[in-house]
Amino acid sequence: MADLPAWRIIWEETKARFARVRLLGWPDVLIMVALGGLLAGVLDLGQEWTGPHRPGADIELSPWALLHYTFYSLARGMLAYAISLGFTLVYGYWAASDRRAERILIPLLDILQSIPVLGFLPGVLLALESLFPSSNLGVELASVVMIFTGQAWNMTFSFYHSLRTIPTDQLEVATIFRFSWWQRLKWVQLPFATLGLVWNSMMSMAGGWFFLMISESFRLGDEDFRLPGIGSYMSVAVEQGRVDAMLWALGAMVLMIVALDQLLWRPVVVWAQKFRVEEGGSVAEMESWFLTWLRRAQLVRALRRWWRHRLLRRGNGPRTALLTPRANPAPPRTEGTSFVGLLGLLLLLGLLSYGCWQLVVLLQDVTLAEWGETALAAGGTLGRVLLSTALGTLWALPAGLAVGLSPRLSRLLQPVIQVLASFPAPMLFPLLIAALRWGGISLNWGSILLMLLGTQWYILFNVIAGAMAIPADLREAATGYRLSRWQRFRVLYLPAVFPYLVTGWVTAAGGAWNASIVAEYVTFKGEALQAWGLGAQINQAAEHARFPLLAASVLVMAVVVVAFNRLVWRRFYHLAEQRFSLSK
Amino acid sequence: MAESGVLPTRAILCEVREVTHEFTLPNGRPLRVLENISLTIHSGEVVALLGPSGCGKSTLLRILAGLIRPTHGLTLYHDQALQGLNPGAAIVFQSFALYPWLTVRENVRVVLTAAGLAARAAEEKAERAIRRVGLSGFEGTYPRELSGGMKQRVGMARALSVDPEILFLDEPFSQVDALTAESLRAEIIDLWAAAHGHPASVLMVSHDIAEVVYMADRIVILGANPGCVRTIVENHLPRPRDYRSPEFLHLVDRLHDIITGHELPDQPPPVEPGSITYEPLPPVESAEIVGLLEYLDARRGKEELFRIASDTHREFGHVLNIVEAAELLNFVDTPRRMVVLDTEGQNFLKATPEARKAIWCEQLLKLRLFREAQAILQKEPDHTLDRDHVLEMIVLHMPQENYETIFRTLVRWARFGNLFNYDEATERLMLPLESTP
Repeated sequence: MADLPAWRIIWEETKARFARVRLLGWPDVLIMVALGGLLAGVLDLGQEWTGPHRPGADIELSPWALLHYTFYSLARGMLAYAISLGFTLVYGYWAASDRRAERILIPLLDILQSIPVLGFLPGVLLALESLFPSSNLGVELASVVMIFTGQAWNMTFSFYHSLRTIPTDQLEVATIFRFSWWQRLKWVQLPFATLGLVWNSMMSMAGGWFFLMISESFRLGDEDFRLPGIGSYMSVAVEQGRVDAMLWALGAMVLMIVALDQLLWRPVVVWAQKFRVEEGGSVAEMESWFLTWLRRAQLVRALRRWWRHRLLRRGNGPRTALLTPRANPAPPRTEGTSFVGLLGLLLLLGLLSYGCWQLVVLLQDVTLAEWGETALAAGGTLGRVLLSTALGTLWALPAGLAVGLSPRLSRLLQPVIQVLASFPAPMLFPLLIAALRWGGISLNWGSILLMLLGTQWYILFNVIAGAMAIPADLREAATGYRLSRWQRFRVLYLPAVFPYLVTGWVTAAGGAWNASIVAEYVTFKGEALQAWGLGAQINQAAEHARFPLLAASVLVMAVVVVAFNRLVWRRFYHLAEQRFSLSK
Repeated sequence: MAESGVLPTRAILCEVREVTHEFTLPNGRPLRVLENISLTIHSGEVVALLGPSGCGKSTLLRILAGLIRPTHGLTLYHDQALQGLNPGAAIVFQSFALYPWLTVRENVRVVLTAAGLAARAAEEKAERAIRRVGLSGFEGTYPRELSGGMKQRVGMARALSVDPEILFLDEPFSQVDALTAESLRAEIIDLWAAAHGHPASVLMVSHDIAEVVYMADRIVILGANPGCVRTIVENHLPRPRDYRSPEFLHLVDRLHDIITGHELPDQPPPVEPGSITYEPLPPVESAEIVGLLEYLDARRGKEELFRIASDTHREFGHVLNIVEAAELLNFVDTPRRMVVLDTEGQNFLKATPEARKAIWCEQLLKLRLFREAQAILQKEPDHTLDRDHVLEMIVLHMPQENYETIFRTLVRWARFGNLFNYDEATERLMLPLESTP
């Protein structure tokens, strides 16, 4: 026993202890390493954000620095997502549970959705900079908020919609058994909304990355803002014409998207399957290697055991309940507005009227000629949006049908398409611009292609979903009566996917409007290329800090988008529901 | 002694007094679903609400449970006016209404937690309730893995777990297969008999006559449009009840007679070519009317109403609607609870498809609504008529009816005879091409 060196004793004891608690296994080690890395990253991030005010960071173009930048971008995206989620839960819940507020909140959301990222920029940036004048925090938060504006709206719509479509009987159960509002939220409303929220979260993340470049490096007046991140890295690489750095950035972006997909979204989607509402187990079981692996970790198991134990132990308190007869607790459903709701509503109305007043004051500086120009430019962009949607349909409809109708193809291609679709198209613009210039095509037409690059996926996804939902008997009938390929397309496929196609069009057109600000105005090798359109005008107005013109342009865009939704897309929706719905 | 039958004076548990309820239709008009209903539920009895679809029986149940506040009238629980929920009530739902993301155990446990039970107590009580309905071993499964009957057992466990004083059953077996339903009925009666006051009473909604005779002590027969109490029948048959005992069959027969007597009076107001009243159209398909005629023809021209319902596996309320519609068109006659094919009906069956359409149209045009619509269509220069115009006619002359449903039926019947057509896109009625002068 004697003469053993001290380190040996410690080593043996540690080994014994580890063997006792069975804290072994690769998953646990890797989880620890990941947690450690995360901690270091957060510390680093904190240092960067609270560091001295330095709006225009110097971007190094070495691959090693890129690793660092990727982490910063990821952190911004995740923080923005967390804010989006919080916003969604509060805003959606409020809109769904307060009839009076709903009438303001939902149209407002519609308008917010139609405002391009740059429309938020000046206000957000000026406010946050004045809040944190001496540190990077203001600019960093402004960037996060800009990413947030690319993420939040569709999640909120989805959550609100879910809350409004919970079956009556499930709500009646909650009422008759006297769930408190919190119990109702956690046992009924949140579970019901989870699946939709998860899918929309994935879409939102992609939407946030789309404007990463513009969210990380932008110019406002004579000030140049550049935050360390992939977006800035890419724009510097483009400015300097460094093809190798551009490729590195693209690679890093793909890596980040794939990693997020595998390590975050896939496990979450698999977990969320337990919130499926429809009956029958015929849905193919989804799998995630990461989730399976994670569940094997002792650390995770111990955590779950502790949690279950805690839940049961908490219950041993002195609380008792008399079930019958009981006094009536809360009334079944509050039809009116609660005090908090009313207060919030008043606050919102106040803010809105203040905002409108400010807008009116700002707009007084816009000349009539500028209004006319803006309207014309809006027409130009509208044309581009429609053309890009039509072009997208031209290839995505047949392709989507081909993929959706073949189980083999859809199994093989779905994951690939998903990653492709989450890739922020603006990062590919420089390459495309080079090709366009080489081909002698002006940006006036080229920007249509740029828009297409970002929005075609919405059409493709929806067509695939629609094709997969075509009932087998209808397809068998078409085969049985020997319909030709063209007849089949006209009689079965097109009508069956039409409702999905409309959804795809609406999302694609909305995306194209937003994309116009990056598609119609591009800096390439230090030279600014621009098309004639509203997007370019917004971009230019922001760059030259001409706020009245910026406000006017954004306003016109919002009006055109909302009007187009109401007047055109809504009719298509109606038609799709009336004539081409397969569920009736 | 309590076993000797129903005591004359028993504590009143729950009561509605002169309750009238109206729903607001999408266009803001009120639709009266219940009219002047008074009903008491005593301690220790099983009460059944029996009636055709559209008589508002589920609404009445929700009013008694405090889920809905009636437009007029009073709901009482232990002689106290209800403010909000009925404190002693638990409901078993027709659609089960289980949360698909919670296991069987969790589905029961959450309502106990909501009732304020501490976690461990809730866990134990849920366990006991699940055992009580015979589902031990299934605690960890999710509802989607269970059959309809087992889901309803979970629904029962959930309702019983909170020790309700009144158990409300809202058509609990209509989505359960017939054999399982049979055993659930017996089990509910057993549970209630052994419950010592939890639940003391059961209120069930049903459209199945044999079911209510098997289960209930009192059967409340409701009429439709708007819902009202036609009569209340006491059922003193000793338990356990035998479906084939003469007394049981006699009571079923009596209920049949009461219902047909009310819903299909032997002397219906004659429909003359020049009648001035507007006849509400029962919401049935033309094909169902023709099907009824063919069915009767294959049975020498007559059959008993309830036999038809059981032969065709349809809810008797719906069969009643079909018979009413056929009677409205003079195709059948209904002496007591028999349905008899009329000469007009026989002619219709013998006719060729083309001639059938002619007879059909001829009968339709004896109804005022069709006659008026036809008149306007012929008068209008473009031979079309706006949907809203017809809706207004319906609302004006039949304010109690659901005008959307009547309009839909009008369009379907008219299309079948090619009397007139309807364009969904423009929402206009129009004369068919060949008959346009």
